[in-house]
Amino acid sequence: MPVYRMMYAKEGPARYISHLDLLRTFERAARRAGLPIAFTSGFNPHPKIAFAAPLAVGTAGEAEYADLELVREVPVSSIQRDLSGTLPEGLRLVEVRRLGERAPALMSMVERATYRGEARLKSAVSQGALDRAIEAFLGRSEILVQRKNKAGENRVYDIRPGIFAMSGRLDNDIIIIETELKTGSRDNIRFEEVVEAFSTSSELPIEGKYVLYRTCLFSAVDKDNKTLW
Amino acid sequence: MDVLDQILPLVKKPARYAGGEWNAVHKEWSDVDLRVAFAFPDVYEVGMSYLGLQIFYEIVNRRVDTLMERVFAPWPDMEEKMREYNLPLFSLESRRPVGDFDVVAFTLQYEMSFTNVLNMLDLSGIPLKSTERDEKCPLVIAGGPCAFNPEPMAAFIDLFAIGEGEELISELLDSVRKGKQRALPRRDFLLEASRLPGVYAPGLYRVEYRTDGAVSKVKPVQEGVPARVTKRIVRDFDQAPFPRRPLVPSTEVVHDRIMLEVLRGCTRGCRFCQAGMLNRPVREKKPSTVLEQAAALVESTGYDEISLTSLSTSDYTPVSKVIKSLLDQHAQRGVGVSLPSLRVDNFSVELAKEVQRVRRSSLTFAPEAGTQRLRDVINKGVTEEDLLETTAAAFREGWRAIKLYFMIGLPTETDEDLDGIVRLAKEVLDLGRKARVPRNKLRVTVSVSSFVPKAHTPFQWEPQDTLAELKRKQDYLAVRLKERGLVFNYHDAGLSFMEAVFARGDRRLETVLIHALELGCKFDGWSEYFNLERWLEAFRLSGLEPAWYAGRRYDYEGPLPWDHINSGVSRRYLAEEHRRALSGVTTVDCRTGDCPGCGLCPDLEAKPSLAGGV
Ligand code: SF4
Repeated sequence: MPVYRMMYAKEGPARYISHLDLLRTFERAARRAGLPIAFTSGFNPHPKIAFAAPLAVGTAGEAEYADLELVREVPVSSIQRDLSGTLPEGLRLVEVRRLGERAPALMSMVERATYRGEARLKSAVSQGALDRAIEAFLGRSEILVQRKNKAGENRVYDIRPGIFAMSGRLDNDIIIIETELKTGSRDNIRFEEVVEAFSTSSELPIEGKYVLYRTCLFSAVDKDNKTLW
Repeated sequence: MDVLDQILPLVKKPARYAGGEWNAVHKEWSDVDLRVAFAFPDVYEVGMSYLGLQIFYEIVNRRVDTLMERVFAPWPDMEEKMREYNLPLFSLESRRPVGDFDVVAFTLQYEMSFTNVLNMLDLSGIPLKSTERDEKCPLVIAGGPCAFNPEPMAAFIDLFAIGEGEELISELLDSVRKGKQRALPRRDFLLEASRLPGVYAPGLYRVEYRTDGAVSKVKPVQEGVPARVTKRIVRDFDQAPFPRRPLVPSTEVVHDRIMLEVLRGCTRGCRFCQAGMLNRPVREKKPSTVLEQAAALVESTGYDEISLTSLSTSDYTPVSKVIKSLLDQHAQRGVGVSLPSLRVDNFSVELAKEVQRVRRSSLTFAPEAGTQRLRDVINKGVTEEDLLETTAAAFREGWRAIKLYFMIGLPTETDEDLDGIVRLAKEVLDLGRKARVPRNKLRVTVSVSSFVPKAHTPFQWEPQDTLAELKRKQDYLAVRLKERGLVFNYHDAGLSFMEAVFARGDRRLETVLIHALELGCKFDGWSEYFNLERWLEAFRLSGLEPAWYAGRRYDYEGPLPWDHINSGVSRRYLAEEHRRALSGVTTVDCRTGDCPGCGLCPDLEAKPSLAGGV
């Protein structure tokens, strides 16, 4: 059955839709749009919608991906048009493509992601000071964070090897951090952890919390274009 | 940078506060004359499952001159953040402070949500007491079943709406709008609004007490204020306003499906049941209306399940026909039908069989009492044969789990009746074994709640068992219901005790509620938050005795704190029903055409309306 890959943004109120709820949200939107969704067979059928990589609740996504399987061919343009009209506020369809027969599963493609964090400064910081803070952060040989394993025990984990790049800039009283991290089913680095560790070590005068965005997801093959097409 | 976007990632289930759901209505604040906040005093997932919210949302937002937005009780983790960041309670649609609205409308579905109402007012910066609110404060109104004994909340609510609100809400909003245009002082407005049928303005009534503390009289303080407020009903239920584009939450809620009300009212006349008395007369929707509305809802929501809701859906006359047509029209699109409540009879098993393609979930029946004698007392028209035949049929049809609901502490109950519960449960279990349900799959759950005497029911005069007695009965059952395949559940008796206090409470309880709020009582319907000790402390601080309220037997002649609220069912009839109960005489269902004379139809100039046809 035909599979369609969607690139979408998850912003505004939709950033708070959890990964599990997102499946239901897409399912209902697809049904409202009159799309013939394919379901798994068996005891408890669920719609064949697969996501690239879970996004932490509260983090916005600017270029997320999901594969949608239908029971029959539907022109890409009408999926784009109809589904765009039935998604709730904050979910925005950017592009839809029909996948080829042997396309690999989305989940297995993801290797890296870029992120952006924005926060308000309590007092002014110079670009030079920001650069030095990042340099010092990246210069560390290890950056240890606490994580809970499956059994619920606290484990110490070094996230430094999964941080590939990091930069910062200033826009009036807003500080903007951008970074590229290891992502995927193995060795996933969470942006919240990085931001948390950076905030603690850099001691920049931040007011409140960083607001987080995932800007793109990409595979090792498409490092330059940074897409999952 | 929005402070909310900084807080929300830190709390559990932030989608509760985010808004932006499908079919949410965003109207321009300045385009309308009146802004109403619909306030549900429990968490989002519960409030969004309340059909009344969807109905009012539709009615108020359809008007050009008014808008309605929603607000729910923030879960304690969110409340903590809001207080830390000085964030007032805000609506989901425009994220405006609740204090900016013209009207805040609460629904009182449950006595134990009263402190949540107070807490929400507090989080909104609105003075708790009606008398302390000035012209700038929103008008605070409340409706729902608990408004039928509004007295415990009388100090906090400016106006109560009694009965069905579909028509009343618009009349009330018209009145508010006119009052606002004429810059009517608050008190004058309340006086004017109190003349609308179904509106109760508690501030315009004075309560007198006897020396023993009992209410002796509730009477208007002013000319023109009605001595009794009669509930409102929608006469043409078939054509009543109906939400064709209901909100579809983006996070899972309690009833996460289409809720299509097919029938209002239940006339079986269970004597403990308040909903059955308050929602008379019985009114059914035409099958054609149901089918047309269902089609619109499937289209506008994208849900995969249509739940036919009512107090007792197997009583809906054309139910089989309607289910069949719904399945014919929607099943191939993967949309199923479900029934929330089942009667104890084979017909209901047939219905369940029809709607459930895969028989995994359990079936629930409510015999309520363990012996025929006690079932006659409560007028539950279920016989032992009914129950055994029905459950046998269910096992035959492939169900493996059966849930049985019972109530303990019912008037005249003895340990023999408890033994009856045990015996029935074991017999049902036995039927499962005989039907060769695999041992490890066979499950009979016995769920036991405690009787709470409610206003406007034939048992309104009855005392509740003492807390100690209820606990003894629970233990009595627990030791006897130990057997492989039996599961025994019971509700916290302390919670039922508090419910009983407020269900028949009076105005003096206002101090208890204020103390309880200060002591941190909230979300008491949630077992993790309910704390009896804190409530008892609130009573001590107020100098009141909870057992005096819960365990009191009222006399037929004496006044009741809710006498000035007219549910339509006459007091004479309730007393008669009570007498019949005590002598074990049952009463017929008026949907059969035999009217036992509850008084509602003549009093409210209404009549039962059935859709006809099977
Ligand atoms: S007056 Fe008679 S017919 Fe009407 S609701 Fe009461 S019992 Fe039923």
